[in-house]
Amino acid sequence: MKWITRERPKIDRIACPWLIKHFVDKEAEFMYVPAEQVKERAQAIGAIPFDIPDVEFSHHEDKCTFDYIIEKYSLTDPALQTMALIVRGADTDRHDIASQAAGLWAISAGLAYNIQDDYELLQKGMMLYDALYNWAKYLQKVKHTQNPVDHVFIDVYNKFIKQQSAQKKTPAWVKELKQIIQDQIDSNINLTQISKSLDINPSYLSREFSKHFNNLSFGEYIRKLRIEKAIELMQQNKYTLTEIAYLTGFSDQSHFTRIFKQHTGKSPSLYKKEWDKSKKDTKG
Amino acid sequence: MKWITRERPKIDRIACPWLIKNFVDKEAQFIYVPKDKVFIKADELQAIPYDIPGAEYTHEGDYCTFDYIVKKHNLTDPAIRQIAAIVRGADTDSFQLAPQAAGLWAISAGLSYNYTDDYEMLSIGMKMYDALYSWAKYVQDEKHIWKA
Repeated sequence: MKWITRERPKIDRIACPWLIKHFVDKEAEFMYVPAEQVKERAQAIGAIPFDIPDVEFSHHEDKCTFDYIIEKYSLTDPALQTMALIVRGADTDRHDIASQAAGLWAISAGLAYNIQDDYELLQKGMMLYDALYNWAKYLQKVKHTQNPVDHVFIDVYNKFIKQQSAQKKTPAWVKELKQIIQDQIDSNINLTQISKSLDINPSYLSREFSKHFNNLSFGEYIRKLRIEKAIELMQQNKYTLTEIAYLTGFSDQSHFTRIFKQHTGKSPSLYKKEWDKSKKDTKG
Repeated sequence: MKWITRERPKIDRIACPWLIKNFVDKEAQFIYVPKDKVFIKADELQAIPYDIPGAEYTHEGDYCTFDYIVKKHNLTDPAIRQIAAIVRGADTDSFQLAPQAAGLWAISAGLSYNYTDDYEMLSIGMKMYDALYSWAKYVQDEKHIWKA
């Protein structure tokens, strides 16, 4: 169809062609003529007159022609409803009904001032409404955080967060627990007792333990400490292996021997023999 | 001169080229590159980096790069001052600074969505700022009223 309206379009006579072309009549052609010739020319060429008084496609009460087309063709796209308010606000000087109306008006009025050819203006205006539609449809919730200063803050913040999670602060109970284990390594310590003295749930403690103790379970960590202490005592050359087993919290010597071998690959007596020999060798 | 900034411009990186081209440097050429290449390419091409932290031409406090150019080059045209407030409002999410800021943002965001070629975006954006300038300078007192 051909659609005809008054020359020198600004808002509604650009927005309506955009709406018609995209949502009503893909083949639509648009003509701009002096106001007093619209009806006459419309009849002569069989075109639909729009946005002039006393025709169907026009303003109705406080609504503009863009609104009428949406209503007439039951266009339900929410983005179009958003645009309708902006167009109406800009077209009827009611900038209060949509915050984007004043900006649309300024740019449209300026475009009309700069571009004298109505058809060129229509073509530029089409891009404007394409943009407004995409904003309304996809970007309405997007904030513009392009402020480079904001970006610097965001970058620094992200680095801070990364460092925080990388370093994972050691909880206070971990330090306390290390101390307790150190002090009681020669006694029969167990996790349940310790969790009581730390006032921490035992299953939580058991689950969290390895995160803070080199991926070792409570039992593994205790055994490692005991063996290290046993080796230290052997090197002092003051204790028998039975005494050492006792001093390092092992219930009996065979248990001590078994665990020691697991950790060092040697029995305690062999380990001690080799140590004593190496001492002599160095002396010699 | 050549002027260089980050790719995918929306507000300030379109408005500044418009301002530079029309009021500072008629021969200016504009280059958009990935953010991490701006300073390297600026050195290579002898271009002025802008709208990026660390450059002379960038945001200062609440003010955007457009404001900095206005100040630096003593641009006193009241229409430019008015556009500065609109650009600042749209660029820094402070729509209360100018009634036209929200509309400029909506249209600019939508244009950037449609045109992924930065230079095409720039050429369309230039027309938009030409329009905004004509409005500010010549037609802003005009009211648009339906005369039925």
